[in-house]
Amino acid sequence: MTPEQSEFAARLESALEAGELSSDELREGLSTLLQSSARRQDLLYIQTTSTAPSSPAVGMTLVQNGEMIAPPADADAWPYQNVLDAINDGWRVVSFPNMALLALSADDPQGLGFEFILEKWS
Amino acid sequence: MELSLAAGKTFDCTATLTDSQVLEFCKTGYLLLESVVSEEVNRLSVEYCDQDEYYEPTGILAQDWFHEGVVCNPAAAGAVRSLLGPEFHLPVLMSNHRVEAPFDVGGWHVDGNSAFGPELNYLQVFYYPQDTPVELGPTEVVPGSHLVKNKARYMAHLTGIRGAVATTAPAGSIFITAYQIWHRRGEATGTGMRNLLKYFYWRNRPSTRDWIVEDDFDFATVNYGSPIAAIVEQFRADIKVAEMFLWLCGRHDAFQNLGGQSWPLPAHRNGTPYGMPTDL
Repeated sequence: MTPEQSEFAARLESALEAGELSSDELREGLSTLLQSSARRQDLLYIQTTSTAPSSPAVGMTLVQNGEMIAPPADADAWPYQNVLDAINDGWRVVSFPNMALLALSADDPQGLGFEFILEKWS
Repeated sequence: MELSLAAGKTFDCTATLTDSQVLEFCKTGYLLLESVVSEEVNRLSVEYCDQDEYYEPTGILAQDWFHEGVVCNPAAAGAVRSLLGPEFHLPVLMSNHRVEAPFDVGGWHVDGNSAFGPELNYLQVFYYPQDTPVELGPTEVVPGSHLVKNKARYMAHLTGIRGAVATTAPAGSIFITAYQIWHRRGEATGTGMRNLLKYFYWRNRPSTRDWIVEDDFDFATVNYGSPIAAIVEQFRADIKVAEMFLWLCGRHDAFQNLGGQSWPLPAHRNGTPYGMPTDL
């Protein structure tokens, strides 16, 4: 179970022990738990100018409710201007820039900056 | 690179770009020429595309009015002549990215068979025969991205890119690109048909500085900075631009990067930058 599901189950258990849980309430609680298992993983890709999570974002893509969502065309209007902004809004980093990129020649720039991938569950 | 001269139709005209404009192309990877095609040719082009909706309406190249008004358009051909040299090879294939608006944004990509490097042996050119405001989904490009390697299948998750530019343009506009520039179809929120005719020119002669030379153009002090600087190591964009410019000047053999604060890094120096190639 997720932390949220465990917390919800604990509330049901407390109500049961206190003799305050009716059969209808139990049925409704189980339904809620089952529905919460159907949550989706949201992803946030942020490409930055360096490996520092405080460095400016140069690219952004959001995957929310199973769909890819482009941020506003104006980069200054993106929901986060760096990775720290996103972390402070509850996003969790699941992938950091691959340091093997250091093996590439400086004469040979490749790709769009340094990519962090973050997740949330909704 | 030793050129294998292409057989087929060639064209020559006066080069119209200056040193500064050629350098700007090296920095950004594209050049937008607004409203250079006549209204009459725009109208005929739209009518032709309405009749031939195939994605490769190559027959339009055989139309005299299109050949003269678009393919050999003085402003466009003059720019192509500046970048590809004399007797450049004319297009033999026409593509049309014809889409009825509204439509969704496309994915960022580089076109297939892209090569990254200082050489410029061909140009991909786009022509908008109709007004193409942002509501009609003009192509978007990332200025300077022709200097940064990428592969289309590694770009599929990208959507927002800081600094991307929509090539909004009035009817009759032509924009010239380095083939490997990162680009995508813009989102169209309006209504109407968007034609975007795409074709190629090729180099037939080795590169040389035979465009409009500016008397006061100084290879030592000119700014080689590119808008792509934010995503590459410091000064790497300047070096890439300088190398491409020297290649176009036919002096790639003279290009050198001696490291540190040598040429072509931007700086407020009190003398000729160390590492500056001679005889430029």
